[in-house]
Amino acid sequence: MMSELSAQSVQIVFAGIILLFGIGLIGLMITRNLIKIVILLQLMAKAAILGMALAGNVAGKPGLGQSLAVTVIVVDTVVAVIALALAVQVQKTWGTLDLKDLSTLRR
Amino acid sequence: MLAILIWLAIGLPVVGGLVVAFVGDSREKLQHVVAVGFSAAAAVAALAILPQAGADAAVSVSFGPMFGDLTFVPDGLGAFLAAVATVVGCLAVVFSVDYMAGEAELGRYYSLVLYFIGAMAALALTSNLFFLFLFWEITALCSYALISFYNDDPKAVAGGIKALIITQFGGVGLLALALAAYAQTGSFEISTFLAAAPSIPAVVLSVMAYGALLAAAAKSAQFPFHTWLPDAMEAPTPVSALIHAATMVNAGIYLLARLYPAFADVPGWRTAVVLVGVVSALIAALMAVVATDLKRLLAYSTVSQLGYMVYAVGAGGVFASQFHLLSHAVFKALLFLAAGSIIHSLGTRDMRKMGGVGRQMPFVRNVFIIGAIALIGLPPLNGFWSKELILEEGLLHGPGWAYALMLAGVALTALYTLRGVSMVFFSEDAGPHGHDAGRAMKTSLGILAVGTFVTWLLVGSFSRMMAETLPLHGLHELTIAQLASEISGAPATYLALGAALIGLAAWQWRRRIPGAQQSPGWLLAATESSFGLETANRLIVTAVQKAGAFLQRTQTGQLNWNVAGLAFGLIAVLIILAWSV
Repeated sequence: MMSELSAQSVQIVFAGIILLFGIGLIGLMITRNLIKIVILLQLMAKAAILGMALAGNVAGKPGLGQSLAVTVIVVDTVVAVIALALAVQVQKTWGTLDLKDLSTLRR
Repeated sequence: MLAILIWLAIGLPVVGGLVVAFVGDSREKLQHVVAVGFSAAAAVAALAILPQAGADAAVSVSFGPMFGDLTFVPDGLGAFLAAVATVVGCLAVVFSVDYMAGEAELGRYYSLVLYFIGAMAALALTSNLFFLFLFWEITALCSYALISFYNDDPKAVAGGIKALIITQFGGVGLLALALAAYAQTGSFEISTFLAAAPSIPAVVLSVMAYGALLAAAAKSAQFPFHTWLPDAMEAPTPVSALIHAATMVNAGIYLLARLYPAFADVPGWRTAVVLVGVVSALIAALMAVVATDLKRLLAYSTVSQLGYMVYAVGAGGVFASQFHLLSHAVFKALLFLAAGSIIHSLGTRDMRKMGGVGRQMPFVRNVFIIGAIALIGLPPLNGFWSKELILEEGLLHGPGWAYALMLAGVALTALYTLRGVSMVFFSEDAGPHGHDAGRAMKTSLGILAVGTFVTWLLVGSFSRMMAETLPLHGLHELTIAQLASEISGAPATYLALGAALIGLAAWQWRRRIPGAQQSPGWLLAATESSFGLETANRLIVTAVQKAGAFLQRTQTGQLNWNVAGLAFGLIAVLIILAWSV
């Protein structure tokens, strides 16, 4: 059984979560490179995972939070692998990773 | 036992629909047999519910705390409408054996018709507002798919989409009503809501009341939503008879009648209901006077007769409205199916090309005239008794102006019905004609024609059933003798018969009335645009399309913009949450 976190450390972890998530969000708003997008998505997912673990702890059910976190880590890795594989194929097929060049909705 | 019957009435058509689909279009004969068998069995089950009608839930299936229990209550209103839906449904399926013979994709047709019958029976019997909404939308979907059954005909597709979109307004009204009831009473049960209605805040209750009126007007093709029904006539004729005359369009009236005790005291609601009924009855009758398409004529007349039922609810005559609903379901299904056999034989819906068809089809001519007499409201057919009951209620409890306008509607009904009958059967021969109706067609026409003579005799048991199972509606039993003496003694009867005679005379001596030799131009133009509402429809469609094209600019396809939009949305939600805390 994990020991209860103090209120201060909860706040520190929470600030870390917001920081990670914010970096991911702002990054997604400004980057157009497919690889960077995958990395930024990973950052946001990690923030979410941390959030789950923290929420489990605060709610007094650390086991539940941690098991959910592990599940998401697995799923998230698969997402990253497939996204990177797609990025490789995109680069091979179109010769670019720039989203603006890849977009077909409006020319 | 009762629970089993209810499950059979609802479940048999649905199972039948699946079976027909699996039989496959290569075995047409078997498809006919399966469809008729399942629909007939469902009709028997629904009829067997009637003697056991009661006010308590006979079936209750738990669906968790969100939606409440799926309950079926076989009370007077529900069991009655379920019986109408399954019996007329069965007759329409029997009629289809001849009408749809040799058509491609018969499986799709029968499946949708059977699903519709099941959904309609469930809609009538359920007492949970959320599931009522669900079944309400299933019937709308079946109606849409069947209007567009000939899906290589652009007119049929357009008619189907139009019906779907316009009846959606009704669905939204009903959903708002259901959610408001849940918010106020913590339950979707109609009985809970009716009992709690007096304690619901007046503002909420009036929003619900007008939501119900919106739902009913859209579903029952009442003003200003009536424009979808004439365009729905692209459906195969048995479908028009079943869905767009006898059952689905009655769902709106049924909703108003069922919730009447809760809304009767909402200020202005009853007047609004009367107004909707009167306006629909009159303008639809006017449009019917100049119609040249036989099915559109009947569709206008359906809108008009539904207007009478809405008017009856507004005037407080809940039983009168349901009684007319029964009569109308029978005689209008008869008229539609008779029209269907004519159309099937001649291959045209234009009444100007039908002259003299009665000589080839004497049986169809005779039953059509029976239906027409019931529509006009002449004794002793069922249309007479129920329409007189409505007008009497209107004279006693409704506003005077509405009664006067409804009398004018009676005259118009007589006029357009006689015009239709004489154009189809008694004008000069229009040339070569087709074959007589088949045996299956004649069977269902014959049953409906007999029904037109006798259904009014059920008034005693029907009113007793409703009075006993719907305590909140304040209904009382009305025996045949009471009905007969009430109708024959009331001045309303003679006024209405006089109005009908004026209408008949106007057609008979039309050549002597100056300016009546041709359909008046303004009326033709008004019919073309559905009294301006068709134009309004087009304006709304154009506006929506333009707005869509304009908003397309926001769809850049750029990830950066999308993420920014998400982030701003998140911030907005957080601000709203912070505000409300």
